[in-house]
Amino acid sequence: MKTIKLAGLLILALVVSNLKVFPQEITGLQIIENVYNRPVGEDMTADLTMTLINSSGNERVRKIKQFSRDFGDVEKKIMFFVSPADVKNTSFMNWSYDEEGKDDDQWIYLPALKKTKRISSDSKGDYFMGSDFTYDDLGDRKPSDDTHKLLREEKINGEDCYVVESIPKDPDYMYSKTVTWVIKDKWIGLKKEFYDEDGVLLKILHVKDYKKINGFWIIVDTEMENVQKDHKTVMELRNIKIDTGISDSKFTERMMTRGI
Amino acid sequence: MKRIIFLVVVIAFIQNINAQNPDFTGYLRNYSGMLLGNGSTDFIILQNTFNLNIEKRFDNSAFKVNPMIYHYMSDSLYFRLREAYMDLYFDNFDIRVGKQQIVWGKADGVFITDIVSPKDLFEFLLPEFDEIRRGVIGLKLDYYIGNSTLELVWLPVFTPTNLPGENSAWAVKPSFPLPPSFAYSKQEVKASLENSELFLKYSTISENIDFELMGGYMWDDDPTLFSSVSIDSATGNTKLTIIPEHNRLTVAGGSFSMPVGPFIFRGEGAYYWGKYFNTVNPALNRGVIQKDYIHYMLGLDFTLFDIYLSTQFVQRVIMNYEDIIRPTVLFKGETNNMMTFLASYSMMNETLTLELFSYYDFEYSNALIRPRILYDYSDSINLQFGANIFTGTEGLFGQYDKNDMIYGRIIYSF
Repeated sequence: MKTIKLAGLLILALVVSNLKVFPQEITGLQIIENVYNRPVGEDMTADLTMTLINSSGNERVRKIKQFSRDFGDVEKKIMFFVSPADVKNTSFMNWSYDEEGKDDDQWIYLPALKKTKRISSDSKGDYFMGSDFTYDDLGDRKPSDDTHKLLREEKINGEDCYVVESIPKDPDYMYSKTVTWVIKDKWIGLKKEFYDEDGVLLKILHVKDYKKINGFWIIVDTEMENVQKDHKTVMELRNIKIDTGISDSKFTERMMTRGI
Repeated sequence: MKRIIFLVVVIAFIQNINAQNPDFTGYLRNYSGMLLGNGSTDFIILQNTFNLNIEKRFDNSAFKVNPMIYHYMSDSLYFRLREAYMDLYFDNFDIRVGKQQIVWGKADGVFITDIVSPKDLFEFLLPEFDEIRRGVIGLKLDYYIGNSTLELVWLPVFTPTNLPGENSAWAVKPSFPLPPSFAYSKQEVKASLENSELFLKYSTISENIDFELMGGYMWDDDPTLFSSVSIDSATGNTKLTIIPEHNRLTVAGGSFSMPVGPFIFRGEGAYYWGKYFNTVNPALNRGVIQKDYIHYMLGLDFTLFDIYLSTQFVQRVIMNYEDIIRPTVLFKGETNNMMTFLASYSMMNETLTLELFSYYDFEYSNALIRPRILYDYSDSINLQFGANIFTGTEGLFGQYDKNDMIYGRIIYSF
């Protein structure tokens, strides 16, 4: 009888503790969907600075002017490279579709060649301009591409976070899993760990600063550290303008070739 | 007094330019190339290059001036004004007036519909592709309809291909049945309305495919070598005179680029009406025959194990071929088949790139193989080390078999 009572108490304790940890029984998928669907405005203009820092502490700086707009079923982004000098006036345009399974369309304009080239979006695993961010890290990965599991709650940097493990459904994906710390009341991924194909920690993303602009939570400073190569990239967004009404004509070959 | 006025005007212009803060970008490049093999280690290239872009954008206009100076080992200078143009922007169209480089088509390293700007072959096909193109003087109008563009190019001044000098290591030496003399009196195409060139292109980019359709009424950038055979009254010997002359060409073509799974599939083709070819009989019909001509390419780009790969099959066909047509470095018969291949691999956060580009010509089994290492020493300084290997003994590349070389470049960008 005592054993039954003890078991009952243990079960009760477990239920209570579970209720305490996950009071609304929110799932990992719901958390990642909330992050994915967090409103960030319809369009954005910003100046992006990427500082690449190698293991010796040497820095290389890339500056970009970027414009993006969500047209509902398609999100368009155009980037103009400002520096360094040898890539100045290069531009990159990406059209990302909501439709399940539809690949992005991507073009790059090379000013020396005076040519707009279509490039394969299959190279999403490629690193962006020598940084520690892949093209996929910079885009919005669809929640349905991974299986999500809520691991625990944890407080980091003074913020209450959900910790969610995401495992890609595609076994050949460049990461075997990611673990994300999501701020509970803001749905911002504050920290993210990326594990390589062998399950070994490869990179850590830290969100250093975020601001409320035009009523939307916008991530402004991030740092991606490749712990295997001891190389990191600091990414800073400045002069952020939200919902200024960027027209569709901004996302055309005309603008790619004309530049800013 | 005139000198003072001139100086005042120049100073006023420079001050005005400074007040408007144009962008000054460009590079300084040191380029040294040494011959390999055949017992020679001569320097084939010792060159310093200064490339300056002066640009300014306003709300509804822009300008660009791009002078380029080559300094050679003989202390000689070669000056090129690659571009000098003004842009005017309107709601639905743009106009560009002046000297400009115009690039069409989807092929890489092969010029099929990319024929508006002629080539500068002063160092064969070895310079970067932007240095191979010559600027053309004229007007370009682009009319935009969504993601489509209708482009009209009017060139009142004809710019031909620039061929290497007679003493250059890259000089082309056509063979003739007799030692010829040359008469250049008809080579020049005078700038006039009736001698203008016109080009039209419709292009679009879309979700599934990008394509271009083009047409041109132009001059052949390469002169046709007409022959004149006569008897020397003094010696009684047969005398051959070659008369280079540019001829009108009508061209139509198109190109496309589309994603197919992980691949980018590209194609480009052009049909030339009435292109002149030399014949083996210089006494018949001035040594030439007119034939239609097709030039096309099919290509594939993809990434495998982080290596970017790109390959192209290129074919040229002389329509209604006749045996009287004289073989050239490209043609033994009615067709020429060629492949290009590019492999590029970047590492160390894109500071180090290994690259291999090559042309292979099936006609004469000759090739140009170009391995290269590129290293970003800093954001401003790029170091390159490479080789240009010509295989075969005849054909477009084999003719330069003795010009195998290794080279180094230091490029400072600003």
